[in-house]
Amino acid sequence: MIPELESFNLPVLSLITMTPAVGAILLSLVDRNNKALLRQAALMISCLTLLFSLLMIGNFDNAVGTMQLEEQHTWIESLGISYHLGVDGISVLLVLLTSFSMPLVFLSTWSAIDDRVKEFQIALLLLQTGMIGAFLALDLILFYFFYEAMLIPMYLIIGIWGGRERIYAALKFFIYTMVGSLLMFLAILYLYQHTGTFDLPLMLERIRSTHPLGPDQQFWLFSAFTLSFAIKVPLFPLHTWLPDAHVQAPTAGSVVLAGVLLKMGTYGLLRFSIPLFSDAAFDLQGVMCWLAIIGIIFGACMALVQNDIKKLIAYSSVSHLGFVVLACFIPSVEAITGGILQMVNHGLSTGMLFLMIGIIYERRHTRELADYGGLAKVIPMYTIFFLIAVLSSIGLPGLNGFVGEFLILFAVFRDFPLWGVLASTGVVLGALYLLNMVKRFLFGPIVHEENRTVADLSVREIIYLLPFVVMMFWLGLYPAPFINMVKPTLVLYVEMLKS
Amino acid sequence: MELTISRAEILAILPAGILFITGLVQLFSDLGKNGDDTRSEKTHLAMIGGAGLLLALAALFVQGTAASTGSLYAGAMTDDLFGRMGAGVVMMTALFCTLMSGGYLASSANNRAEFYALICFCAGAMALLCQATNLISVFVAIETLSLAVYVLAGYFKENRSASEGAFKYFVLGAFSSGFLLLGMAFIYGTTGGSISFSDIAASNGQGDSLFSIGTLLILIGFSFKIGAVPFHSWVPDVYQASPTLAVGWMAVAVKASSFFALCRFLLFTGGGQELAQILAAISVVSMLLGNLAALNQRSLKRMMAYSGIAHTGYLLIPLVIVVSGEGASAGASIPFYLFAYAATTLAAFGVITAISVGTDRDDVRDLDGLARNRPFLAIGLTIALISLAGIPLTAGFIAKLMILQGAVSSGFLTLALIAIITTLISVYYYLRPVVAMWFREPRSSFDLVPAPWGVIFTVAVCAIATVFIGIFPGWLVDLSRLSVETILG
Repeated sequence: MIPELESFNLPVLSLITMTPAVGAILLSLVDRNNKALLRQAALMISCLTLLFSLLMIGNFDNAVGTMQLEEQHTWIESLGISYHLGVDGISVLLVLLTSFSMPLVFLSTWSAIDDRVKEFQIALLLLQTGMIGAFLALDLILFYFFYEAMLIPMYLIIGIWGGRERIYAALKFFIYTMVGSLLMFLAILYLYQHTGTFDLPLMLERIRSTHPLGPDQQFWLFSAFTLSFAIKVPLFPLHTWLPDAHVQAPTAGSVVLAGVLLKMGTYGLLRFSIPLFSDAAFDLQGVMCWLAIIGIIFGACMALVQNDIKKLIAYSSVSHLGFVVLACFIPSVEAITGGILQMVNHGLSTGMLFLMIGIIYERRHTRELADYGGLAKVIPMYTIFFLIAVLSSIGLPGLNGFVGEFLILFAVFRDFPLWGVLASTGVVLGALYLLNMVKRFLFGPIVHEENRTVADLSVREIIYLLPFVVMMFWLGLYPAPFINMVKPTLVLYVEMLKS
Repeated sequence: MELTISRAEILAILPAGILFITGLVQLFSDLGKNGDDTRSEKTHLAMIGGAGLLLALAALFVQGTAASTGSLYAGAMTDDLFGRMGAGVVMMTALFCTLMSGGYLASSANNRAEFYALICFCAGAMALLCQATNLISVFVAIETLSLAVYVLAGYFKENRSASEGAFKYFVLGAFSSGFLLLGMAFIYGTTGGSISFSDIAASNGQGDSLFSIGTLLILIGFSFKIGAVPFHSWVPDVYQASPTLAVGWMAVAVKASSFFALCRFLLFTGGGQELAQILAAISVVSMLLGNLAALNQRSLKRMMAYSGIAHTGYLLIPLVIVVSGEGASAGASIPFYLFAYAATTLAAFGVITAISVGTDRDDVRDLDGLARNRPFLAIGLTIALISLAGIPLTAGFIAKLMILQGAVSSGFLTLALIAIITTLISVYYYLRPVVAMWFREPRSSFDLVPAPWGVIFTVAVCAIATVFIGIFPGWLVDLSRLSVETILG
């Protein structure tokens, strides 16, 4: 698209990955009392990362379905570990989503976080490196490095800046994640022993030709990988850490958690579990899809009865990500395209919802639905933005949520009508609990006097919410550029799965 | 008989010799100053110790990574890379302990030259232990270092519990030496009077059941030193009662040098399936008991004691593989693990020393709000704990990766799985200090004394080394592999 940039031959992917980490190191040298500088510097660093991501899009060839912009260097030669990055249709949108949301998250923390600003910005930057690195890594140990590197900053963000039960929530988050990742680690080592490489493309090739895995091996390895990712998603019944983590985390933590971190799970399924162990994935398709459907309905039902807005959105995440897991296990281009779009859509809509809950929490210091009501007249601007986010989350045609859900349900109905019917109930329930929440939250009479004086959105808040709205409409009205980026990869991917 | 000593033989004992002389110089330099002077920091002692240790380290690595020049002193010791790596770990640990001593001892009005000298003597003996290649020199080195450690453990002689701990350590240590000696006698008897490792390996006494019993007895003797279950009962008590610095010294140097010697012994003698099974059992029980018992500890030193037992369990996994004959190259993870463990543990004990300066407190709750008061120490301890838990970007992760990779590739999947599960348990207690430091607010009742410069230096260097080895471990991995290959020939 931008041919003159290609001649520079920049290591674009490394730049995207490492800029936040380098920024974090630079930030550690800034005086901790200079909060304004810390905040602006972190914002600039994340904007720079976004710029590099756009450079990546510029160099990304939509016609190619294999890995692009690859970078491979030996790293720990004696242990067979290499520094191998690459991007394809599965990861490109997720990287973009991450680097798109982070500047907005940083902007949102200017008013929300006033204690230990320096540590917060550093933690968030390190988290960003972890997330982008995990999406781009093509060496299993390198992936594990980034995957685990996300853990500590997120743990600190929940534990230091979280709510009253933050220590419990942080610990639960940490332990749950560790259970999965340690077993996955063992599985990675076993794969290395079996195939003689940590390099993902090479490993895939060897498993499909010279080093096939037996059914038992496939089953156990698939289970180890999938357990780790299912906890991250989170898939029912491994979801119990999520409501705690979300409710206790500060706004920025919730946004990153819902917006990006959960996608690590579904991305992992698509990138590792399913292609590496496709026989086991096919055998266990029923189990996984049923769990996903139970998650869709269970999450929606739980969301119906919540009084805490954050908890409600947290359970809606369980429900929405059920669709993505369902899509991952339907081997058709439409389903997986829908799944990837749904990951992005969920990141946008839920991220924005959490940001907006954070905004109202800063003003009223409560998240109980009963404490609100009638805000629509007091803060009309807020109400409009909130409604857009909610409608996008529901999947209203014209907004982004519709495209992903439609593609998924279309593909599921075609091959598995029963699952299609059951999953569709999730859409209906979604409209029910979200609109019900809006009714109690923003409309109706004003019960509490404090709600009469709530301030509407400030300019800074509009600045960081507007990009979300733009993206929602863009994805909803004209998703073709995004689908085109994804499609060639998925055509090859589904072909490989079916062979 | 004409006695000739070759240049290589002199070079081989030079590092240890420098340390013994350094210890003597320290003792003499402090003569007649023991009156009221025990509160001053006495930087000259640390200076002498530091200079001596640096000199010894230089003497150790003057040969670079050159392969072994063969057996020296009629097969009593060697100067191969493996031994020098062991001596290197010990001496670096000694260097940091010496640097930390001044501030720590002065604050408890107990700053005497003996402490520094004992560390030097002990380090010299440990260097010899790592290089020892026959049973006699192993025993002499172990006894020498043990005597020094007994005294260090009971260094605060006015403190009843410290004296009790030291006495306990002494009695059990004497027992373990008895086991060791008896085992050596059995091996001597069954191999037709061989004492050097290579003779034992070459002899035909290995099928003898008495030989197996002898190996087992030696293993028991070493198990006391490395704190493996069921010979671990002294560890928590002694760790809790002894001066924090002496504990750091024990936790790193005693364990490292004993492991180097044990590893060399087992690489030579092998041992067969029965011994491998016994070792595997010890390893599993150590991992389980160490990690489970650590869950309930409020005292940081006790927690580190149990965590040390657990790490002994992890370190035994490669030895199981070596002994079972499934792949001697698995032994390469031992030097690496010990280097990583030394850097990590020293950083942790540096911070524990810093908070116990002048107060002798080591409760987890004493760390409350440390990230606000002393962000630097908090970051150091956090890195150390992350590394102990084996989380990426730290040396501890690569160390665990090597051990597990060895276990998986030699078919010891169960051991690897138990290691993984116990690691998960360990995450819980390693996070507890992190919670206290970062998530809780400082308690006003407890004022922190500024950390001594030696402690800050140690924490900084060791924490940076932990991260550096975690990201660029290649050179150390190669060095460890090379060192084990030189033994195997």
